[in-house]
Amino acid sequence: MTKLEAKNIVKYFKHDSHRLKALGGVNLQIEDGEFVCLVGPSGCGKSTFLRIVAGLEIPDEGEILFDGKPVTTTGPERIMVFQEGALFPWLKVQDNVEFGLKMAGIPKEERTEISKRYLDMMQLTKFADSYTYQLSTGMKQRVAIARALVMDPDVLLMDEPFAALDAQTRDLLLVEMQLIWEKTKKTILFVTHNVTEATVLGTKVAVFSNRPSMIKKIISVNYKRPRLVEDQNLFPLQQEILSELRPEVKKS
Amino acid sequence: MKKNTLAKQIIFYVALVAIWQIVSMTNIWPNNLFPSPYEVAEDLVYTASDGSLFFGIATSLLRLIVGLTIAIVGGMLLGIFMARVEIVNQTIGSLVLGLQSIPSVAWVPLAILWFGLTDGGIIFVTTIGSMFAVTIATYTGVKNINPHYIEAAKNMGAKGTQLATYVLIPAAFPYLISGFKQGWAFAWRGVIGAELLFSFLGLGFLLNVGRQLNDISQVFAIMLVIMMVGIAIDGIIFKRIENKVMSRWGLR
Ligand SMILES: Nc1ncnc2c1ncn2[C@@H]1O[C@H](COP(=O)(O)OP(=O)(O)O)[C@@H](O)[C@H]1O
Ligand SMILES: [Mg+2]
Repeated sequence: MTKLEAKNIVKYFKHDSHRLKALGGVNLQIEDGEFVCLVGPSGCGKSTFLRIVAGLEIPDEGEILFDGKPVTTTGPERIMVFQEGALFPWLKVQDNVEFGLKMAGIPKEERTEISKRYLDMMQLTKFADSYTYQLSTGMKQRVAIARALVMDPDVLLMDEPFAALDAQTRDLLLVEMQLIWEKTKKTILFVTHNVTEATVLGTKVAVFSNRPSMIKKIISVNYKRPRLVEDQNLFPLQQEILSELRPEVKKS
Repeated sequence: MKKNTLAKQIIFYVALVAIWQIVSMTNIWPNNLFPSPYEVAEDLVYTASDGSLFFGIATSLLRLIVGLTIAIVGGMLLGIFMARVEIVNQTIGSLVLGLQSIPSVAWVPLAILWFGLTDGGIIFVTTIGSMFAVTIATYTGVKNINPHYIEAAKNMGAKGTQLATYVLIPAAFPYLISGFKQGWAFAWRGVIGAELLFSFLGLGFLLNVGRQLNDISQVFAIMLVIMMVGIAIDGIIFKRIENKVMSRWGLR
């Protein structure tokens, strides 16, 4: 079943004197339960595309179909994990994780029960009462992922969530992310500029061209999981993706 | 406060009182214009012992609390609307800037005409003199919220009042607290100023009585009390809230 469909998405941005065409007609079809990684040169519009899918930005042309229906607004069925986490500094970790449930009017005991489960899953139980400034970058990203998962969204939208992490933490989260996906069977759109990350995580890797961006190539990744960063089997695919990316990065 | 600072302050104030005593003993100025610290202290003890001092403080504080509470609630509401609804900012926003420039005592004639010589009049002066400082701080605070916080909250289903209560106000709190402090300072000036001009109770009134009776030590004594109440509220209430917020956000 098709979960998400991007139909000819075009997006312009006003820059003082001119209009910048960021997205030049993006077409993408994503089936229920797919894990799609988006790679592309920096500034090509990956974040913009994700924000459009989330309903946080409106495209100038084209539309996003979610379960066949056009997306007009943002909502908890498509939850975004922001690049910098965007955790609320005025709330404790547990209250951050429960935020969406509270907005949905779920009573406190039930919220606690649900958040406990995800805090546990992300190994955050010890930090439930901490404020976010007390956490390392890796911990913050775990909180952001937990906060998204408690909403039990149909689609998870992740914008370079691991970009700021050190290598060890990232490798750990790459494995955990695969386990989460296998356990929950969520549809995931995951933006990264890291080709290794894309091949480790994705069932598919979509390569964006330079601006005005379109999807240049979609490559399927069919190796068994859990995949590790050092997996030799993934090298040829990584080379293939890089050879698609290289001319685009040069152009930008 | 560091111990060292406290010691310096104690030495400073002891020296100040000593100099005051010496100057008053030299009789450069006649005693009915420049009282000695002893006379002022005597007056303080006297007004305290017959209860009129504490009754005055309580009356002024009660008016302050009512007026400031209205100012804070109203100011925050107006500030949020200005920050979130462009048309409100373009219209009412400019008026607020104008009203903010009116000193609170300039509202006294209007207050007397509208409310008569009542508590309502004094509270009106207090509120109107302090509300717009809160409004402007709220506006600035909400405008400066990291847009990702608002997007994340909307994405998780927050809207309208929920968004304001659970995101806009707490996210703007570092600005709000400075608005509250400013509002409180304006409100305290407003209460005393209004009482001075048209009240039969409160510290401002006692100050005016001192002038009418040519009782210079009472004038000094009440001014001292007004200052000390100000320092106490600043130090006990606002410093505390500020420290708590700052440390929770990891800003200190
Ligand atoms: N709100 C905005 N206003 C103006 N230009 C923007 C805005 N958001 C993004 N852009 C521009 O659109 C292009 C794509 O941005 P973005 O989606 O962030 O790229 P990516 O995530 O692939 O690095 C960039 O050139 C960026 O400067
Ligand atoms: Mg980006």
